[in-house]
Amino acid sequence: MGRFVVRRILQAIPVLIGVTFLIFYLVFALKGDPIQALAGEKRADPNVAAMLREQYHLNDPKIVQYWHYITGVFTGDLGTTYTGRPISEIVSERFPVTLKLALTAFGIEAVLGITAGIFAALKKGKFIDNLVLISTLVLISIPVFVLGSVLQLELGVKVGITPVAGIDDGWPNSYILPAFVLASTSMAYIARLTRASMMESIRADYVRTAIAKGLPRRRVIGIHTLRNSLIPVVTFLGMDLGALMGGAIITERLFNLPGIGGQLAKSVYLRERPVVVGLVTLLVLIYLVANLVVDLLYAVLDPRIRYE
Amino acid sequence: MRGAKSAKWVAGAAVVALAATACGGGDGDSKGKGGSSGGVISMEIGEPQNLLVPSNTYETEGGQVIHALFTGLTKLNEKSEVVNDLAQAVETKDSKVWTIKLKPGYTFHNGEAVTAKSFIDAWNYGANQDNAQQTNPLFSHIQGYKDLNPGPKKKVATKEMSGLKAVDDNTLQVTLDAPFSAFPAQLSFSAFSPLPKVFFNDPKGFGEAPIGNGPFKMSGKFQHDEKISVVKYDKYPEASKIEVKGVDFKIYSNLDTAYKDLLANNIDFHIAIPDSALATYKKDLDNRVIDTADSSVGFIGFPLKYNEAFKKPELRKALSMAIDRKTIADKIFQGARTPADDFISPIIQGYRKGACGDACNYDPAKAKALFQQAGGLPNNTLEIGYNADGGHKGWVEAVANMLQQNLGIKVTAKPFEKFQAILNDLDAKKYQGAFRMAWNMDYPDMENYLRPIFSKDAIENGSNYAGYVNEDFEKLLVEGDKAPSKDEAIKKYQAADDILAKDMPYIPVYFYKLNAGFSSKIKSISVAGHNVLWDTVKLS
Repeated sequence: MGRFVVRRILQAIPVLIGVTFLIFYLVFALKGDPIQALAGEKRADPNVAAMLREQYHLNDPKIVQYWHYITGVFTGDLGTTYTGRPISEIVSERFPVTLKLALTAFGIEAVLGITAGIFAALKKGKFIDNLVLISTLVLISIPVFVLGSVLQLELGVKVGITPVAGIDDGWPNSYILPAFVLASTSMAYIARLTRASMMESIRADYVRTAIAKGLPRRRVIGIHTLRNSLIPVVTFLGMDLGALMGGAIITERLFNLPGIGGQLAKSVYLRERPVVVGLVTLLVLIYLVANLVVDLLYAVLDPRIRYE
Repeated sequence: MRGAKSAKWVAGAAVVALAATACGGGDGDSKGKGGSSGGVISMEIGEPQNLLVPSNTYETEGGQVIHALFTGLTKLNEKSEVVNDLAQAVETKDSKVWTIKLKPGYTFHNGEAVTAKSFIDAWNYGANQDNAQQTNPLFSHIQGYKDLNPGPKKKVATKEMSGLKAVDDNTLQVTLDAPFSAFPAQLSFSAFSPLPKVFFNDPKGFGEAPIGNGPFKMSGKFQHDEKISVVKYDKYPEASKIEVKGVDFKIYSNLDTAYKDLLANNIDFHIAIPDSALATYKKDLDNRVIDTADSSVGFIGFPLKYNEAFKKPELRKALSMAIDRKTIADKIFQGARTPADDFISPIIQGYRKGACGDACNYDPAKAKALFQQAGGLPNNTLEIGYNADGGHKGWVEAVANMLQQNLGIKVTAKPFEKFQAILNDLDAKKYQGAFRMAWNMDYPDMENYLRPIFSKDAIENGSNYAGYVNEDFEKLLVEGDKAPSKDEAIKKYQAADDILAKDMPYIPVYFYKLNAGFSSKIKSISVAGHNVLWDTVKLS
């Protein structure tokens, strides 16, 4: 187990270096001059633009720029934006917002999704099953921004029970509605996945044995069935955490949450390469860790799986 | 933070209750109600691009905050006229040497007195290429600017412009390279604000919590992407004229969201109503709106410098006459634009209604005749480029359809990722078609609508993307600069404007409007040159 974890962490290092270079190169390949982007539709003053390009090493070859960046990273300096803000400051301000949003969404989708799935599986073909199937179908087919706008307008503006936007009210008030919107699609998938997986294992021999042995229903469902059904769900959840962190652009924009998604979109637009690389690297790290945790959870859920 | 909202409510109720019991002693102006936050209002802005330093702020969002924190020598008043602000008098005999007397009594928020030197130091900083400030070119009229801008990789030998002299603490003498009658107008731009001594120790730290000399001071630091809070500065000489006790500039990345917050009474002033709400905002807000002319002009331009097909002014005139500006303004922009009839914005002194003449009047029959007379376009096709990131698709396609129908040629609207992409292709002489563009003033003077977009110098250093050159036009600009009075300057600049109307280097299509909305907490509010005039804000 310990060796497995160490091996996985070591494997992550080349992945990270490769990813930063790839991202750096890709962001680089985007046409456009970040210094002119600062001036909007007016032409940037040639002299000032030249000074700024010099200052941010924009005249150097790509590989030299990458070297400047990566040596900075190893000495703990993530660089600055082209307007002089330290990127570490941006990350430390933005990251908690996205993390709170993603974890709240993660909690919502895990709890509601799995619960709905269990009930649907147990009451197969009954009213509750149909309700889950239809409501998840609806959630899956509504685009996030439509659901978000409607809920924002109804609950925030008309009824006034949730804040319309911003993080002024702190966690959880400011985050519940956006997190629900962000979680909605995945929640529907999780409900359906849990339902299907449960229905499969509920017919398994060991469940019939457990029932025949006279185990309490609670234990049969909670331990013997659910635990074995959770492997695909946990895989999905693990992957989804990364997606929630990086894919919150629309939700963050709609609810004016100053998180990583909005910053990433803005930085890609402004061609702020160091910011994009920094944020994406961070997201990759989160993916890697989430993946590792998922792999370790397999062993917990199914004792037959062992890591050497 | 869990109970923050309800706590605010309780506090608000307390304020209202106090006001109700204390109604005996109130003066006529302030009714003392103040809503839930006691005279503090909140306003929507976008994230300022740079740290809050006046000379590095060249966009409206940061400009709005700078305008609240700093007071300059001149300002734009409610009628969009340039009047003295911190200056007592701005005098000149030849438009070259300017003597500016300061009003006494102004201090920075840390107590330091505002003197002539505060301006000189600030301008020397802004003009120095080593500091790479965005508004650097605005200082170029001042004598000695070139010494501070020797060019990339060259060392700046001096730190001071020779044209700036403090005669005494309250008198500033500015010598320009050449006469420039628009100088007082230029001074109203926030880049010309004074700076306190502490700025020069740590410009970066200063930008997070600037110390200005304006009616409001910072309350805490710049909270990036969230808000900037300012409170009234009691030692401001005109503090008694300002009813607002503080402003929270709330930062939005999305205008639609800000509009929803306005509807829910979470913000009090929204200066840029989103397109999606233009049809309904007056009704939504019970006419608590501002619907007035803004300073920008929208154009369609041509790559005159290398595409011979557009060479004839008659042809450009024909294209202009085939555009139904009224339909675009009313139908596509739902009244958020007005048809352009001059190259100068209507808020500028010197704008003349209909200055563009027949060329800007919709007349499809005449347009077609003129178009054919001028020889038409190669292959009878025309492309109009637009940047897809700015909401321009609708009107550019409408223009394309109008031209196609009225002139019988094939017109296509060509999207570019952003404006910069059009600019790159124009610089590389790659793109042959027409393109959209817009101009927003830096300072409120006719000159600022002419030189930066149509002068020879602006081909390299400005926004003359068409590459238009006309020697008579250049001459009139210089004459306007030299004019001894504002009226005479306007006459010369108008003559230059007339040349544009004849040549049509760009087709003026529409004037932008300012569409803003405010909550019931505000009784009245005025905006000039996109900045809120804080002394005009009355609370209800």
